[in-house]
Amino acid sequence: MSEGEVLTAIRALFPALMALSSLALVPLLKLWRGPERDGAAIHATAGVQVLLLATSIGAALAGAGYLSTLKIGQISIDPSEPGRLLVTLGGIVFAVIVGSGEGRRASTMGQIALFGIAAIDLSLAIPAGIAPIALLLFASVAISGAAASGKDDVSRARAVFRDLRTVSLLLPAVVIAEILRTAISYAAVDASYATPASLAAGTALGVSIVLIVAAGVFPFHSRLIKIFEALPIVGSLLVGVWIPSALALIVMSELSVLASSITDPLGGAIVPGILLAGAATLIFGAISALLHDDIGEIVGFIAVGNAGWLALAAAAALQSPTDTSSRLIVLPGTLAISLFGLWLVSVRRRYGTTSISELGGWARRTGANGIALISAIVALAALPPGAVLAARFNLLLLGGNPIIAIFAVIGQLILIGAAVRLLLIGFTPQSHVVHEAETRPFANVITISLIAGSIFVAAAAAGWLSIEAGGTGPLPPAPSVSPATSFDPGPSADPTAAPTGEPTPSVMPSMSEEISPAP
Amino acid sequence: MPSFELPLVLIAILAGTLAVTSAGRGAWVAIGILALSSSALEFSIADPNRIGMALRLSAIGIGLAAALPENLFEVKALRRDLAPSTLVGTLREHPVVVASAIAGLLLGLVPLALPIESSSDALRAAGVALLVVGLPPLLTSRFIEATTRAAVVTLAGTMLLRTSIFGALDPLSALAIGAGFTCILVVGGSVATRISNAEGER
Repeated sequence: MSEGEVLTAIRALFPALMALSSLALVPLLKLWRGPERDGAAIHATAGVQVLLLATSIGAALAGAGYLSTLKIGQISIDPSEPGRLLVTLGGIVFAVIVGSGEGRRASTMGQIALFGIAAIDLSLAIPAGIAPIALLLFASVAISGAAASGKDDVSRARAVFRDLRTVSLLLPAVVIAEILRTAISYAAVDASYATPASLAAGTALGVSIVLIVAAGVFPFHSRLIKIFEALPIVGSLLVGVWIPSALALIVMSELSVLASSITDPLGGAIVPGILLAGAATLIFGAISALLHDDIGEIVGFIAVGNAGWLALAAAAALQSPTDTSSRLIVLPGTLAISLFGLWLVSVRRRYGTTSISELGGWARRTGANGIALISAIVALAALPPGAVLAARFNLLLLGGNPIIAIFAVIGQLILIGAAVRLLLIGFTPQSHVVHEAETRPFANVITISLIAGSIFVAAAAAGWLSIEAGGTGPLPPAPSVSPATSFDPGPSADPTAAPTGEPTPSVMPSMSEEISPAP
Repeated sequence: MPSFELPLVLIAILAGTLAVTSAGRGAWVAIGILALSSSALEFSIADPNRIGMALRLSAIGIGLAAALPENLFEVKALRRDLAPSTLVGTLREHPVVVASAIAGLLLGLVPLALPIESSSDALRAAGVALLVVGLPPLLTSRFIEATTRAAVVTLAGTMLLRTSIFGALDPLSALAIGAGFTCILVVGGSVATRISNAEGER
């Protein structure tokens, strides 16, 4: 292996290498501090934070160019712009969250974050198909299992069990979608098959189901709520928000290619169904967030509201495959929910409670947490109006249904209202719990990093830094998927109707070779 | 390999059926046999290097090593639990599952529409039968170990169905799916242990 190939491998696999290096670094740091358990935990946490930040900087420097494309035989690892952007911002977000979380398990949570963002980077670097989706789904199960370990808590174990069951059910859906997608090319040349539009609808349904279930779109929201209730915040954010966002990017890319490969409208009621699910999710998440009194559940329902936007984006990707708005909103939504997670972990750590009734006056007592929540609200509202807000409105226009659009806008306003309610509670008279809580001085590394991190992430989420466009970059194209050559070609209903390779007028050739021609 | 296909298909379906109907030793041994037979079927086609099969078997081996309950290999108990009369008795106690497996096998043997009609009959039959056997307990079971085994059966069936149409997985996908098998077994085993510990404490 030449020096250049080694450098390429390091560039391509940098996040994964950093995650693996944490397996050696954390035990070494703990060993170095010896019997001082608290000191060892603090040093291990600091070490993991450094690794997270190094991953972030390394991913930004390595980028997604051809110099980072690794080829091993037929395997290609081609880091994508969205993947590298998620790693760059994810490293910063999780470094701040791990620092705010403190505690003896903070370094373990940091390691989980390292492996989570490495899995996201890798899955967005390998050609679309079953491998990246399987990698993300199984990474989700592994992360929830690891995040829930260390404590014999039934509710945590049940949340992991639910995730395991969900993932095991989603993989058959992906394979069925893959089979139907292949059938589209047959339908193009043989009239005895179903129409391309109906097969494309089946494929779109199979692929969308993965996004809808994994992201927690109504009526599959309860998995997401249980995750936010039961798992530590790093695990909750990775399993409930970051991994579904990476899945959303893959799914939207697949849907765009699928929709652009047929000229007839999609069969069935796929697009209206997804639009309706998206609007219902926004309204449901928003009203539930407003009605609940546990900040963990409220953040969970705000995440459900964000899942509604992902569903609306999936419908828009089917309606208008060339428009990038659908992929533009994924990253800002992820960052906004992560800010709420950062605020949640910080408040929970400081006051030891998640009940709103016991958190009166929290913002007056800990101003840094107040800044974190204001940043989260700014990110959620995407203020001041810019590219992110424009992309959201564009999605509603692409949906083409004014009632759905009105419901979505109302849902988003209620979501913001639910978040503002949390802030207002912070300015009410201090409760007993808040009054008695220990606070640290303002000039403290953790406090300063919380404030700086919140403002930076809010700026990225609200579109001030203009980096969100990187999330719309192309993903590695899918390999040609066709039935194995070792099998005999399938006889059609009419033996004389041999495939000619000439597409019917209803089928447009796909530029990305997503759907291979029939053999 | 084609001459071994039919016996392997029957062994895989029987093992899958026993994996979701038995408890304890019988079920875990059945999962091991299912892993061996389904991997042999899946990677017998278009994979001359058998890299995928090696990855799959290693992954399931690691997963099983982590998930297997204690005292599984007590010879006396194993002999009792794996006696033909016990296995036949288990199958007779679950006629619906057995009927589902047979129905799945027959359904899979019939050439269906779309590209499936150009696929391998034996693999398709095994895939559909394992899906039909694995999906109901995966959806409904409240027992974690049983759900974990049902997940493995469903995943094996899904991969066989896919292989029957597209051929063997490429090494990267084989690695991802292999890691998935390990993940399901390890996480399922750990969740089961944690819940039983927590319930024991209570």
